[in-house]
Amino acid sequence: MRVELEIWRQASQTAKGAFERHVVDDATPEMSLMELLDRLNDQIVGQGDEAIQFESDCREGVCGACGVTVNDDPHGPVPNTPSCRQHLRSFGEVRKLRIEPLRSGAFPVIRDLVVDRSSLDRVIRAGGHVDVAAGTAPGADSLRIPYEEAELSLDFAACIGCGACVAACPNGSAHLFGGSKLAHLALIPHGEQERGRRAEAITETLDAEFGPCSTYGECVKVCPAGIPLSAVAAVHKERLRGVFRGRDN
Amino acid sequence: MPSDTVMAMTELKEAAARSQRRAPSSFALKQVMAITGIIFVAFVVIHMIGNLKVYAGEDSFNTYAAWLREVGYPLIPKQGILWALRVTLAVSLVLHMASAITLWARGRRARGRHRRRGMKGFSATSARAMLPGGVVIFVFIVVHLLDLTIGAIVQSGTYQGPEADGTVHAYANLVASFSRPWMAIFYALTMVIIAFHVEHGLRTVLQDLGATGRRFRKLWTILGGIVALAIVLGNAAIPILVLTGVIA
Ligand code: HEM
Ligand code: FES
Repeated sequence: MRVELEIWRQASQTAKGAFERHVVDDATPEMSLMELLDRLNDQIVGQGDEAIQFESDCREGVCGACGVTVNDDPHGPVPNTPSCRQHLRSFGEVRKLRIEPLRSGAFPVIRDLVVDRSSLDRVIRAGGHVDVAAGTAPGADSLRIPYEEAELSLDFAACIGCGACVAACPNGSAHLFGGSKLAHLALIPHGEQERGRRAEAITETLDAEFGPCSTYGECVKVCPAGIPLSAVAAVHKERLRGVFRGRDN
Repeated sequence: MPSDTVMAMTELKEAAARSQRRAPSSFALKQVMAITGIIFVAFVVIHMIGNLKVYAGEDSFNTYAAWLREVGYPLIPKQGILWALRVTLAVSLVLHMASAITLWARGRRARGRHRRRGMKGFSATSARAMLPGGVVIFVFIVVHLLDLTIGAIVQSGTYQGPEADGTVHAYANLVASFSRPWMAIFYALTMVIIAFHVEHGLRTVLQDLGATGRRFRKLWTILGGIVALAIVLGNAAIPILVLTGVIA
């Protein structure tokens, strides 16, 4: 099948970008967005031009490396699905795709469809980890966590860090991302001695590099991990808890 | 210098350039939004319940209006509670608006040059309406005070302020004001806007005050919808009923 594409090309972070038109005549319904771009790149390189740069790694929805905006939707038209798992067969009659990078002030374009998502890494560096000397592994029964809480915590830990929530947000907020870390870590005893400090560090980084949340609810529509909107509430829940406690834990 | 050190330094410099520590923090501003927002919702609901006295007739409504001016007396001076409320609401309004505009500007800056396009759905639409809706509400507050409290510029031809002996003409003023179609329509439409503002606002309060419980969030959301609906039904009905001659 024939697919008409408009693809964002940008030579460097400082260069001015623009859309470039391409046509892929031999696309198939089984192709994912990444495979479509591969096919297009074969074509472009065959003509002796520079391949379109885009990111992907696992191509099975677990790594979070992929992520492009398709017809204004971060990741593409299928809700809650990473770009690498979006196939042309699910796009209905749509045969014209405008593909551009994940857009946000915190995600400067490095080249073409590749953006710098290190702002998310800085949230993790600020507090998305357990920062204690772990020693040897404790006995399996010495640290008891109720099943329900462990499951809930793991639901929040499912975030793959793709950044689509930020690109979906008209405010450029990363509360869904930061909140998923906070909710995940608040539900388990590991690192509870730094719970307050972690909330402060993450909230400050979110404030400094991203926008505020106004409950547009766009982030949860694109999140490939299905993180719920209550993760956003977890940001302020944890921060308020820290403010009232006034201690590290 | 080894090249990875240079890389690390460049990264840090870029991060510093992009990140801005700002005071007050967005976290603090959101707390202000939530607290002042709740104060407004409480006020709007109580005000609406008071307005329902209009259905009990002129005397009932005027007695209520007069009571507001001396509630708490003799423990508290006449109009004491009234003025305490006015000051609280005025301060809240300034804080609510200043925070709203600051947060809106920060959101735009954080998003950067490429705006989000193609948003559909109820939540996104009502979120987008918050600031424009808020501006309409502000204009309404000014008009409403001039019309029925102060009696200036936009008041009806027969407006009468409170008498020295405590008699008020609230009912007559209200009927006279809403007999002007454009004024009645402006009041009714503003109530619809307030309802959407409150519905979305109360859902945002959940996020801002950090309510994560699944059942509580559901309950609160339903309650917010009911409150919003009550504001429209209770308030907007009054100008429409005056306009259609049911209340006279
Ligand atoms: C009857 C008067 C009003 C009521 C009952 C009301 C209520 C609320 C509530 C409950 C919220 C949610 C607060 C939060 O947790 O963030 C809110 C948010 C908001 N209000 Fe109001 N408000 C009123 C007047 C105004 C006015 C006059 C403005 C004018 C600029 C305004 C602008 C906003 C904006 C922009 C937000 C969204 C903030 C955000 O989510 O980023 N409001 N309002
Ligand atoms: S490439 Fe790994 S999630 Fe898409």
